[in-house]
Amino acid sequence: MADGSPQSYFDWTAQLFDRSKIFDKPEALRGIRVLELTTLVLGPTTADFLGELGAEVIKVELPPGGDTMRYVTPEATYWQNASLGFFPENHSKYHIGIDLHAEEGKTLFRQLAGRSDIMVENFRAGTLDTWGIGYRRMKEANPRLIYVADSGFGQWGPFSQGRASYDAVAQTVSGMIGITGFPGRPPILCGIFIGDWFGGLMAATAALVALHHRDRTGEGQLIDFAQSEGLIRTLDWTWVRQGLGGRDREPEGNRDRALVPADIFPCRDGYVAVAAARDAEFKGLCAAMGDEALARDPRYATLGARQRPEHMSTLLDRIRGWAGKLARAEVEAAAARHGFAATRVATAKDKHDDDHLRARGSVWEYEDPLYGKMVEQGPAAKLSETPARIKWAAKPVGWHNHDVLTRLLGLSPGRIRALEGNKIIGQWADRPGAKPPAEWDGGARI
Amino acid sequence: MSDTPRVAWPEYARELTEPSRAHDRPEALDDLRVLDLSSGNFAALFTSSILAEFGAEVIRVEPPAGDVARLYSPDGVLHRGTGLAYLVEARNKRHITLNLHAEEGRVLLARLARHADIVIESERPGQMDAWSIGYRQLSVLNPRLIYLAVSTYGQFGPRAAAAIPDYDITDQALSGVPYVTGEPEGQGPAESSAPTKQGNWIAWYVGGAFGALSVLAALHWRAASGRGQFIDLSPAEAEMRFSDAGVVWYHAAQRIQERVGGLHIQVFPYTLIKTRDSYSFVAGFSDVNFTGLTNIMGRPELKEGFATTRDRILKARQLHQELEKWSSGLTSEDILTRFQDYMLNKRGPGTVATARLNRPPDTLAESHWWERGVFQKVEDPEYGELLLQAPPWKMSATPPRIKWACRPVGADNELVYLTCLGLGKEHLQALKASGII
Repeated sequence: MADGSPQSYFDWTAQLFDRSKIFDKPEALRGIRVLELTTLVLGPTTADFLGELGAEVIKVELPPGGDTMRYVTPEATYWQNASLGFFPENHSKYHIGIDLHAEEGKTLFRQLAGRSDIMVENFRAGTLDTWGIGYRRMKEANPRLIYVADSGFGQWGPFSQGRASYDAVAQTVSGMIGITGFPGRPPILCGIFIGDWFGGLMAATAALVALHHRDRTGEGQLIDFAQSEGLIRTLDWTWVRQGLGGRDREPEGNRDRALVPADIFPCRDGYVAVAAARDAEFKGLCAAMGDEALARDPRYATLGARQRPEHMSTLLDRIRGWAGKLARAEVEAAAARHGFAATRVATAKDKHDDDHLRARGSVWEYEDPLYGKMVEQGPAAKLSETPARIKWAAKPVGWHNHDVLTRLLGLSPGRIRALEGNKIIGQWADRPGAKPPAEWDGGARI
Repeated sequence: MSDTPRVAWPEYARELTEPSRAHDRPEALDDLRVLDLSSGNFAALFTSSILAEFGAEVIRVEPPAGDVARLYSPDGVLHRGTGLAYLVEARNKRHITLNLHAEEGRVLLARLARHADIVIESERPGQMDAWSIGYRQLSVLNPRLIYLAVSTYGQFGPRAAAAIPDYDITDQALSGVPYVTGEPEGQGPAESSAPTKQGNWIAWYVGGAFGALSVLAALHWRAASGRGQFIDLSPAEAEMRFSDAGVVWYHAAQRIQERVGGLHIQVFPYTLIKTRDSYSFVAGFSDVNFTGLTNIMGRPELKEGFATTRDRILKARQLHQELEKWSSGLTSEDILTRFQDYMLNKRGPGTVATARLNRPPDTLAESHWWERGVFQKVEDPEYGELLLQAPPWKMSATPPRIKWACRPVGADNELVYLTCLGLGKEHLQALKASGII
């Protein structure tokens, strides 16, 4: 077949997914408006994943401080007066500042919800209902609205009332930390806000399910999503084994009891992960190690034999000895040659400098009108016809007040000035995290 | 607030979304048919699980001996012939067999794909195309087809042709998350002072969820354009997308995030502390929330020594010791009680959060999750009673649900081949005899 094809497969995919053509293609969610009233990571990522796919995201913050994440940044250091922790979950959004404690602010917010398809919030359960801008009120005005309520423990149930939650609370209560790390060592947190990010992804997914239903019926709905419950879902065979045999799952370090061999090994210049669960792949690994007899050893020849704990341990020690003498790239090359899996444990620099990731847009370099050159983690999945994209970086509090209020609600300059005067709408505090870079000339706000 | 609600919010929300009544409500995706051809890949399986939970007809296409994913099980344990991990991600799916290594099998696959909205596969990039059943060929037969391909390095880019099989651990490693997770060098024994993966298959689950999100976006666009598309998904890049300020910090300051164990470089206190009976997570990192935390500890003077966010992050180790001095005399339950008292009775400023470190049996013992239908004992006709994690979303109009847990290899051959291709029993027997199904 390959001979008869006009083009080799990889030439064809290179053209089909060409990074430089992304802005020549349409967006999947163009025309969908998302109204976001969220802070930190769970809520903002929910909206960000939809925004990457083309939805217009309006992020409402309480002026002048705005989203708490504006003050969460590595080692509390700011860059051009911005939080580096705020960029990764806030792309291409319209930032507006409304005081939602004021009645007039609530009215503005309700008007915006009336013009939106999806609303995302992550307040503690029932807060927005009390404020008169929750689902009950919004669906009266806009029955097509898809209302995503993100939280730690859900909108109802024993833990839902009064109990605050963060990403790491979800990691802790879900059992994820309990099965992670090395036996006998103190528990560790995941090095990223995994419960938030995964929660945002799951919530965005449900929003699109609801959109499909709305496309068919015209009906909106309420989505109650709890990040702790999202992580519980990811604990693969933990629960089913508990149900069948009542066995607790202990942390195992980096090895995997179900897929053997799979582990992370130190090598000369860093660490590398290796996996070869299928017997043919395991043969390839043995060939790479120069020990083809190992693949015929009855202790290791089949996955079933390798899965026996005593066999797994001796096998992993054997691979550890081999990998320790090599560089990461040598192990990776051996895997590609012999048909098993091996990849480096990547650092931020590895990712930043990687031509492959850049060609794929998974590391995304772009020019922002306010911050200049940006390099960030880019959209994950590559869609051939409607690729996801980053248009601009997160902006200071209230940056797009005039644009949004004029364009969507038809407010006149005089009316906007009056709202500003009464502090119903507002912009940034004079504080890093909230305000523009010192070099900003006060000019155009794109 | 002119219209004070008649029913309290939690009761109202529960009434709307009660998962035990899901079966009385319609399914959002019941107009879709999915072919999941994936092999040994729980990212692909999680994508099709999500679609199946929301009502899509998912047909798992396995080789005649069954998908190797059925063997990925702790210590190799099988339950009625199937591994434990597969029992979790086979929900609501029909199971047929088809040998794609045979020409006749590929012809049948192409015929099935005419009847599908979505195809999911996890072969090494280029393999399906070489077999003439890749997106390039199937989209000619079915231009509305949405085709999701899962692989570690993706379908294009300098390393795409270095086709390695896709595994969770190698995806996690490439994402960069293990590099920033775990105990720093020298904190304990060498073996454990190393980059540490999450204990579960997190990269596969993240990849799977991105697969579902992308397929749903493509469906929305198909409704308008009439056209399907090719989705190239790497679970490694999916988890990489989650890596916080990682790449942008390097861009801005040429700094590489390193491991800090139970501490945190962006927020502190946001950490695990030893208690009399276990560990607890505690958070109180902004100025006002830290005030709340020091009030609960009865140590308001700590505010002076750790006045700013920056102080707290840079002196995290010292502050961690202060926290443990306090917590070592208390149980995790004591700490939760004190936090709840502070929050619910509004005893002072700040929002503080805590949780006891749960082992999985601790989580299972908490009624909250059971009330919310997070866990479900599913009585499966083939596999008996299974304790499964249910779909986590509560939805008012189209709630997700579990209908059955798993099916044996090839259990739905007759039904699917008859309804999709009109193939009767005799025809199937011939195909079976020649090793096609």
